[in-house]
Formats: sequence, C-alpha cells, structure tokens
Amino acid sequence: MLSLESVELSVPSTDIPLLSGITLSLPASHFGAIVGPSGCGKSTLLKTIAGILPHTGGTIHWQGRNLDEEDLAPHELGYVPQFTCAQPRLTVGENLRYAARLRRSDPLTAIQSLVEKVEEETGLTDLDGRRAGVLSGGQLRRLGLAMELTTNPSLLLADEVTSGLDPKSEEEITALLARLAREPGRLVLLVTHSLRFLEQYDSVTVLAGGKLAYAAHPGGLGSYFNVSSPEEIYPALAERDTSAWAEEWNTSPAELGFAIEAVVEDLADESRRKDQLEPSTPGLMAQAAIWFSRRLKLFWRDRTQVFLQLALLLVFPLVVTLFAYQGLPGVRNMTLSPDADVVQQLRETLAFTVQSSRVGTLVSGLAMFQVILLALMGSNNSSREVVGERAVLEKEKLAGLRPGAVLAGMTAFLGLMVMVQSAWMTLFVRAVCQFPGDLLGQFLPFCLLTAAMTSLCLAISSWSSTSEQASLGSLYLVGFQLPLSGAILALPEFLGWITRPAISAYWAWSGYLQTLKDTRFYDLVRTISETPLAGSEISLWILVLHFGFGLFLTYLGIRRSDWR
Amino acid sequence: MVRRAHRQTSPLLWLILGAVFLALGGLGILVFQKDGDPYRTVEKLRAEDYLENANSLRGNTYQIEGVIAHALGSSPEKGRLFSLRTGQGDRECPLPILVPPGYRDLNLQKGQRYRVKVRVNDAGLLEVEEMTKS
Repeated sequence: MLSLESVELSVPSTDIPLLSGITLSLPASHFGAIVGPSGCGKSTLLKTIAGILPHTGGTIHWQGRNLDEEDLAPHELGYVPQFTCAQPRLTVGENLRYAARLRRSDPLTAIQSLVEKVEEETGLTDLDGRRAGVLSGGQLRRLGLAMELTTNPSLLLADEVTSGLDPKSEEEITALLARLAREPGRLVLLVTHSLRFLEQYDSVTVLAGGKLAYAAHPGGLGSYFNVSSPEEIYPALAERDTSAWAEEWNTSPAELGFAIEAVVEDLADESRRKDQLEPSTPGLMAQAAIWFSRRLKLFWRDRTQVFLQLALLLVFPLVVTLFAYQGLPGVRNMTLSPDADVVQQLRETLAFTVQSSRVGTLVSGLAMFQVILLALMGSNNSSREVVGERAVLEKEKLAGLRPGAVLAGMTAFLGLMVMVQSAWMTLFVRAVCQFPGDLLGQFLPFCLLTAAMTSLCLAISSWSSTSEQASLGSLYLVGFQLPLSGAILALPEFLGWITRPAISAYWAWSGYLQTLKDTRFYDLVRTISETPLAGSEISLWILVLHFGFGLFLTYLGIRRSDWR
Repeated sequence: MVRRAHRQTSPLLWLILGAVFLALGGLGILVFQKDGDPYRTVEKLRAEDYLENANSLRGNTYQIEGVIAHALGSSPEKGRLFSLRTGQGDRECPLPILVPPGYRDLNLQKGQRYRVKVRVNDAGLLEVEEMTKS
C-alpha cells in the first residue's frame, strides 16, 4: 500500500508550494490515474513518490515503511518518464536485454527468457529485431514500459505515457497498464491529462493547483463535480479557487473502497511478492562491463561518429607532418676551436642563432602542435558524453545503475580511444618527421595528456546543464592551453608559476621535449624558449593528477541528481 | 536520509577533494624534484674564489652550471679541456673544465648548457666527475 500523509513540496524560487497537503492511500493490485489541468502538479506528485523530487513536508510510506528512512529498492520501483529511455540505435530486443542485464544479476539464458516474457506481455514480440529509432510513439511507450517490467516492480509509475498518442494507441497502452496492475501486489499509477477510458481505472486522483481535489473511484466524479461528462471536469475546476476544492475534499472525502477485506487482501499480496525471489542488482564491475559493451555497440552503429573519429585520427597527425615532411633538418654546429678569427666567430654565431631560431621553433612547435591536437581530440571524445545522455543516465541510476559503474565503463571506452589516438599521433609524426628520442618516453606524456583532457572534459560534461554549455567549456579549456603553456610566448615568471600547474599542455610539451635531451634539438629549443622545461617524472606525475582529478570530478558529476 | 534519486554532493567533499589533489601535487613535486637533482648536496662553486686562488680549493668537489664556449685542448690520456661560460651579464665568467677520457662518447658542442659536478684536481683544474644537460 502507498500512503501519502500531508505531503508538501515547496521550492525556494516561489512562495506558492508545488504540492500542498496531499493525503492519499492506494492499495496494491490497483490501477490509479492522476489527472488534472496543465501545471496542477500531476508529474510533480509522481516524481515526489518516486523520490526524484524531495518533499519538504509530510511522509510517504510504501508497504508500511517510511521512504525517508528506507528508500524504494531499485527493483521495487518502475518509473516510466515522459521521454524515451530506449537507445534508438539498438533493437527492441537489445534495449530490453541491456536494461535487464544492468538491473539483474541473472544468467544470460534467464535474461533471454525474461525478455521474451516481457515482450509477450507488452506486445513487442514481433518487433524484437526492429531498431528503437524507427518505432512509432505508441511502440516506444510500450518499450519504455517493457524495460521497467524487467525487474517486475511492485510500484509502477507512468508519467504521461499516453500523451500525444492516437486514440487507438492510447487505449492500448491504458489497457496494457490496467492488465499490469492485475499482478498481485502491484500498484500502477498513471499521470495523464486525458479523461478518456476512465472506466479502466480503479481510482482517479484529481489535482488542482498542487492540492488534492478528489481521490476516489472514477464512478463518483460526475456527481462530485456536478458534471454530466468527464470533459466538463476541468472547466468545473477552473470555476472555483483551488483551495476551495481542496477544503471541500478534506471535509468530505469519498470512500476508496478500503473495506477490511481489501486491506487483508492487499497485505496478502505484498506478502506473496516478498516470498518471490527478489532480483539482485549486478555488482559494480559487472554493470561496468555491460555498460561498456553497450557503449561500444552504440559507437559502431553511429557511422557519422565513427567516420568523424577516423577522420580526426588520420588528418590531425598528417597536418602536423606538413611542417617537416622531409624530416627534421640537420644541425650545423659551431667550431669549438678558439683559434678562428673574431669575424669568422661572429659569422658562425650569427648563423647558429638563425638556425637555433628556425629549428628550435620548429621542434618546439611540432611538439606543442601535437599536444594541442591531442587535447582537441580529448575534448571531442568526451565533451558530450554525459550531458548528452543525462536524462537516460538519471533514469538508469534510479533503476539501480551505479555511478561508479558508469564511470568505469566510460573510462574503459574512452581509454581505448585515447590509446589509439595518442599512439598513432606519436608513431606517425615520429616516423615522418624522424624525431629522435625514446619512443615510450614520447608516447607516455601524449597518452596522459589525451587522457587528462578527456577526463577533464568529461567532468565539464557531467556538471553542465546543456550540450552547448559543455562544448563551450571544453573549448575554453583547450583554447587556454596554448597561451598559458608558455610554449609560444613566455609568461611573466610569477604568472607562469601560478598557471602552469593547471595547464596539461605544458607538462606534456615538457615531458616530450625531455626525450630529446641527448640531441642538439633540445639545446636549440632551450636557446629560443624562455619557459623552463619540467623534468619527465614531474611532468608525468602532474598529468596523472590531472587525469585523476578529472575522473573524480566526473564521478561526483555523474553521482549528483540532475533531473530536468 | 536522502532518497537515492536526489543525491547531492556535500561542500565538505569539495574541500577534501581540493586539499587531497593539492597535497598530492605538492608531494609529487617535492619527491621528483629531490630525486631529479643529483647534485643537491654538492656546494656551488663561486667563480671569484676559484679565479683568486684555485690551489686553495684542491681536492674539493663543487657543482657549476654553464654553457660550453670553446675546446681549449685535447689529450688521449688526460681528456678534453673546455672553457665553460658561467654566470650571466656582468657576472659572466669562463671557467676551464677537464673532461676525462671516460666521457669520450659525450657529444659536447659549443652553446650546450650543462650542470657539472667537478673536483679541483692537483693541477688546480676543474675535473669533471659527472655532467648532465640542463
């Protein structure tokens, strides 16, 4: 049984509460509708029951326990939001299998049987192999419901799942929900604007201005609101102040049919459900592996994304090598003997200075060019990774997906991209430009730089409200790397000390140039650059810290609640 | 207890996060800088002292940093003698360093900057014990 006692919901931005004095009890094996005009608080009430919005007053009990003290377990709650949670590039069957695998630690054969059962229950069997992206509105709503049914929830909350559908689809979905509510111990609540098919519901809750105006059998609506047809209810509500309706309902609530037999039956249903084996949520690494496998599949199915990544992978190193496609130039050294005459020494020094400027700038520039392009790739890898899927992520977290598992899955997926991007950049540029120095020593700062930028942009993505905001934030992060690294123009010394710790590009550039230390190129770079070069170990350490910092911020960003 | 669906991050966690990363950064720099400076326990040579009376410094070990200026001489038995330009501006001063034959593979070129650990030998010359590019 679901019991709400004087539930209030206020937000700081307005004095008027979104919900006020909602007192309501709904039994199990029950199909209830929450109706009311736009903005009356229907979806808000549903989200408050689900725990998405924190109520500021009153209590909510489910099966006798206070949800503020013991929240609904992921498998107990099915919440179908207004938006679709299905991945358009996956088939109906794949969407259901991934939903089930992320929520239940059953063997694959059991998952397959469960998916087949759910498909049959929701009429999706014939659509198993069809991509979700081509489904009709009604079929998508069924899929959303089916995904929730994979945990066999005892409380199923559906938010406007019949809105925008043609009358036939609306009737089918309503009938489906009514059937699902016949399951012993299950309560189904549907938020809807529609007043059609009222006969399907066991109860109707009418809200007006965030207050309860009616909560009883649909048969009593006509007499209570003194109307001849359901369509007249909303105009009737508008004729009086919402407080007047709430007051009237509070003084004369109609019976919801809670006879002692119904309550006993309700308790028996709940007890029967508890006797059934409750599904256990998979462990963190299992969820991470499933998330990773789904992400990889989604990536391969997005041809545009694959093409873009390949294009960047090939074009960026190619652009770098344009500046030294014949290899790095040889270095002409000055005579060491002091015997040469002064004019000859001056000529030699002048020639060497010109050479230092040309070759030193080229080597330093090629190193920094690679760094900046890898930083751009890192930003491109992750700047939309979280924010673009935020709604689905919140939904999946509610269904039991751990933030740590999402982060581990993302790290594995993006880690693959980072390895490929940095390895190819290092190898290709080294081979074409004939860079000397230790190969591993050159790969490591580039790999860590790409990983650091990927994780920092992932953090920006996880804390942004929109994709545009995340892209802009990531772009600024990459854009500031070049000027603040000091590789092109040396910063004033005190400013350099302040900014350099936070600039990944500086450490990668330094780390890379350190691998040339035994060559003349290093001397020439030192001749032209006033910016001090950091040692290899410190550079790698700071890049590891940047990477770790990004990951930690991302974890907090994924973990926080961000329902919109 | 906060319900699962509207979990937020406590400001204390932010403070801890910031402090932990700053500490790790500082610790790393401290450790690597210490390990990265092999001459940290070696005294720096004051060029004026050396030029004034090199013989009084015989047997001592110092560190110097400078740019290779010229090759002054070479002998298969004794090694190569270079002048190293140390200091900057008015304090610029050339010092002679003797690179023993053991460093034959080292490609020393004019204009290269080195940090050198030297011992003042019996002839009063600065004999290289270790040298690394800086």
